[in-house]
Amino acid sequence: MAENPKEVSDRPVIGLEKELQEINEAVERFGDGVPAHIAIVSEPLGGRTTIANEIRRLYGERVTYLPLKFVMSPSSLPDFSASPGDIILIDNCRLLATRRIGGFDVLDAFLLALISSKKLFITTWNMYSWQYLSAVMNIEAYFSTVIVLARMDTPDLKQVIMSRYKPGEIRFINDGVAERSMFFSLVHKQVRLPLKGAEVSIPWIKLNFTLMLRRLPRKKRIQISIEDLIFEKINRISRGNPGVAVHLWEASLEDNVISLNAITETVYSINLDTSESFILTIILSMKSLQEDDLIAIVGSEMDIRRVLYRLVCEGLVRNDDGYYSIPAFALEPVAEYLKKTRRLW
Amino acid sequence: MADTLLTNVTTGVVTELPFKTFDLNLVLYIVFIIVFAYVLNRLLGFVLTHISERMGWHRTTVTMVIPLLKLIVSVTALYYIIIAVIEPSLTQLIAFSGLFGAAVGFGLKDVFADIIGGIVIIFEKPYQIGDKVSIGGTYGEVKNIGIRSTRLQTPDDEQVSIPNVTVFSQPVTSGNAGDLAMMIVIDLYIHPESDAEMAMKILKEALVTSKYVIISKKYTYTVLLEDFPFYMRVRAKGYVNDLRLEFEFKSEVTRRAWSEFRKAGIRPPSFVPAAGDQGRLPGEVAA
Repeated sequence: MAENPKEVSDRPVIGLEKELQEINEAVERFGDGVPAHIAIVSEPLGGRTTIANEIRRLYGERVTYLPLKFVMSPSSLPDFSASPGDIILIDNCRLLATRRIGGFDVLDAFLLALISSKKLFITTWNMYSWQYLSAVMNIEAYFSTVIVLARMDTPDLKQVIMSRYKPGEIRFINDGVAERSMFFSLVHKQVRLPLKGAEVSIPWIKLNFTLMLRRLPRKKRIQISIEDLIFEKINRISRGNPGVAVHLWEASLEDNVISLNAITETVYSINLDTSESFILTIILSMKSLQEDDLIAIVGSEMDIRRVLYRLVCEGLVRNDDGYYSIPAFALEPVAEYLKKTRRLW
Repeated sequence: MADTLLTNVTTGVVTELPFKTFDLNLVLYIVFIIVFAYVLNRLLGFVLTHISERMGWHRTTVTMVIPLLKLIVSVTALYYIIIAVIEPSLTQLIAFSGLFGAAVGFGLKDVFADIIGGIVIIFEKPYQIGDKVSIGGTYGEVKNIGIRSTRLQTPDDEQVSIPNVTVFSQPVTSGNAGDLAMMIVIDLYIHPESDAEMAMKILKEALVTSKYVIISKKYTYTVLLEDFPFYMRVRAKGYVNDLRLEFEFKSEVTRRAWSEFRKAGIRPPSFVPAAGDQGRLPGEVAA
């Protein structure tokens, strides 16, 4: 039996409470017979899977869960009318379209099914794929609710990571560099732009007054924990991306012990030609792709093996059993580079 | 008569100016200022061009200040040379500048017209360094705006120097007006019996999936169809993300679209109009 949607606010999922509340409101609107399709958009590793799992848990049998696992062809598109529940949750919708001639046919068919259906569609999208489709075919017009998962601040990231451990299970070591660390921290403010409905996330400097106060005479000093400094550093390097933060945490943790020095930032110097940038954009938008998928996209326009070899050598792409993806730590530098060179719009 | 009057007045003012004695030190000082200004101008051009190449979206924002900085350096150098030679009062300097300008203007009016043209280009910005422009029938990328001439690099990699005074007498067309993106028009001609709807779809998808394209609310795209007696024209308009890649963009979209046209059975027309003759009947002559 489906759970009561009103329970959403009583069951906090770390850092995603506001988004779940929006989903709950959209589902209630759908109950009134109003089309209320939802698009959940986030950066890679930005928390889409977490929110999809929570939706499944909250709405139980009402939800038919369809996670897409490979680039879709017109024949592989499922028959949505045969789905048992009144909510269809489709994960990884980036796989509905590819950037090639004829690559939008599946998406066109899907959108036709979506607007003709009596069911509620909840879809999850890679942000870069969404932005491309938004520019090319105004895809947001098909969804009455578009939820963009914001980057997390340090307290939320800390909660996300520490919820995986028992109290006292992790030891935080002060290796002597804490004193000179973190006079400021990076937070991500949600700002609603005038004349433009959408909210944007902007990086914002927040001064750490508590740390500054440590410079005061001993009697007036306030203690700041090494734990907080460590999570502050993780947040700064991961730029508030929860998935990247977890990867960084796992890479820095050794035998349940972590120190400030153990958390290191990977620095990338990126300089690519047009073809390499294009392939990197495709992989970033699609999360991971096989070589055959990439060949289908570029055709004979470029030597895909040479391009992939170069990207792998630069550490910007990795090959996991034939699937090419961007390593977690390279996600932000790659996105920044592609925005700067106008490959991401 | 006017020349005699000008000569008399100039002679009068010049003889009243407190000229310094010319010696080797003064000459070396003037040479030093000229060399220093020249080197500084070259250095500014080199450094700022280098920086602009790393600025991505803001490439032209950086290059647009180069001519202005060069002008400031040149004017400052000239000022230091004048005060090194004559040490004038402000009134004398103004009077001398006017008369000097007028006197030299008679002999070097073309050069001065070019300099004035350069100043107009710097402040009015009909084009900037990095723009794709057409000046007096020459098309290319603006590589440098000098004090006397503008240097264009043509698509055939030729360097063309165009006197700055041309902005007063010839139409100047800028394809991007300071932006890095530039609209490109791609025309494909198909047989009148071909599936026009399919051709439009293919050309649209060839455009929006190009590795050179940029699309946003500011940089929109469109695909249009026009029917002519012996062919149909499918026209795509879209923005290339970097104007230096305009020809690659056009070529890639055309190549990929025609490849798909063939697969879809879309044929080229029997009669293909020459460039500039589109829409005219075979045998019809331009007015």
